[in-house]
Amino acid sequence: MTRLFPVALGAALVVAVTFLALPVLAIFLRVPPGELVAQLGDERARDALLVSLQTSLIAHALILGVGTPAAYLLATTRFRGRATVLSLLELPLVLPPAVAGLGLLAAFGRRGLLGEQLQVVGLEIPFTQLAVVLAVCFVASPFYLRAAVTAFESVDPALLGAARTLGARPLRVFARVALPLSLAGLGAGSTLAFARGLGEFGATIMFAGSLPGRTQTAPLAIYDALDEDFDVALALGALLVVVSLALLLAVKLVPSWTRSPSPSTTLFAPFGSR
Amino acid sequence: MTRLVWLAALALLAGCGGNDDPLTVFAASSLTDVAPAIDPDATVVLGGSNDLAAQIRDGADADVFLSASAKPLTDLRAEGLVGPPVAFASNVLVLVVPAGANGVEHLVDLTRKGVKLVLGAEGVPIGDYARESLELAGLGAALANVVSLEEDVKGVIGKVSLGEADAGIVYATDALAASDDVTAIEISKHFQPRIRYFAALVGPPSDEAERYLERLTGAEGERVLGDAGFRPLP
Repeated sequence: MTRLFPVALGAALVVAVTFLALPVLAIFLRVPPGELVAQLGDERARDALLVSLQTSLIAHALILGVGTPAAYLLATTRFRGRATVLSLLELPLVLPPAVAGLGLLAAFGRRGLLGEQLQVVGLEIPFTQLAVVLAVCFVASPFYLRAAVTAFESVDPALLGAARTLGARPLRVFARVALPLSLAGLGAGSTLAFARGLGEFGATIMFAGSLPGRTQTAPLAIYDALDEDFDVALALGALLVVVSLALLLAVKLVPSWTRSPSPSTTLFAPFGSR
Repeated sequence: MTRLVWLAALALLAGCGGNDDPLTVFAASSLTDVAPAIDPDATVVLGGSNDLAAQIRDGADADVFLSASAKPLTDLRAEGLVGPPVAFASNVLVLVVPAGANGVEHLVDLTRKGVKLVLGAEGVPIGDYARESLELAGLGAALANVVSLEEDVKGVIGKVSLGEADAGIVYATDALAASDDVTAIEISKHFQPRIRYFAALVGPPSDEAERYLERLTGAEGERVLGDAGFRPLP
């Protein structure tokens, strides 16, 4: 009976690993690698990858550009309602993507909250690449914000204080002290957000629609190709697995090279350490 | 002891799998009201006909498949996965616009610059029918106004009823079901493709599945289909 427990633990692990790895492996086993590469030359796959790359890069620039200073402020100041703001920023993490899509339509759609104002300035967002970018920003930015707040928080306040005492202005303290010391944590959050954005599906299909060459990202193309060109769907799927794996490895490995004092050396640290 | 744990795990997995007791009907999205009405006890799975066909190809546990066009069924038939397809209803296309006038009143308006048109994707029955209709009307130019290609009728209706798109082409039955949110505009019979709904039994036929098919093609089916706006077979 004493041996049962370790055996049960081992069995649970085997079940978990098999269950999680099998679907990923199956994608590669179903179609030979050469065929997968050939299918990526398909016009539809190429268009989708291009749309994904464009929108992800723009969205990511926005996430980093707005998210970094916002997270810095949240990490270095205490104010009433800060906890509420932090929770609000995390809400999209747990929101079903379809709800995110509905919300984006309700806010920025033609008949949405800001629809009229947007139309005054000649902006109709749904069905455009901007809609894809917004959908990606909405679902992906919380991953970065959360990690960035944790990373900035873990910088020793005494160091920031010392920099100020030595006469550095706030911008210089941020750029020369806080930012370099948080780089590993920021990098991990950034990578995670990029991966999540690349895989965005539900909010995009509701808010931006699906038009090849314009708003059809790789995940949408997989869905579209599923009925007719299963091989194209598999090829795109395989490519996304490879990219995701590369991003995951980057998150795991890069922090150990940079030797930053930030605690965010694994994917999961930003989630647990608050 | 190891074996015991494995057996427990296997039993658990088996429990997660399908149970073929109740009848499972795979039905095209446009049959939302029809498929459950034929047999309230049946489990009805709705979706795009092609998506459903793909699921059946991958071993989904369906007993009856109701498709919005012949092709998914003839393909499955060629692969030996379903019985002979039976036509059971027909449908017509309509133009749908958001409730309240928006300037789109006729098929020809779809070619006007700036009109946001939503269609079914290529290969999806409603998408192929809509393209056929536009071609019959000589309005292929309208395709330049397409802003989104949806995987099923729900996607098209949804984008139009939210007012995000200016127009879409769907089955008359779907427009009827969504008549609170969209206005349906008839399309001339000269521009109507031939739309037939087909049913087939999946895998080895059960008595229950055969009864379902009999009810669907009988008087009860005719009534339910008529209520939902389907046309009888000519």
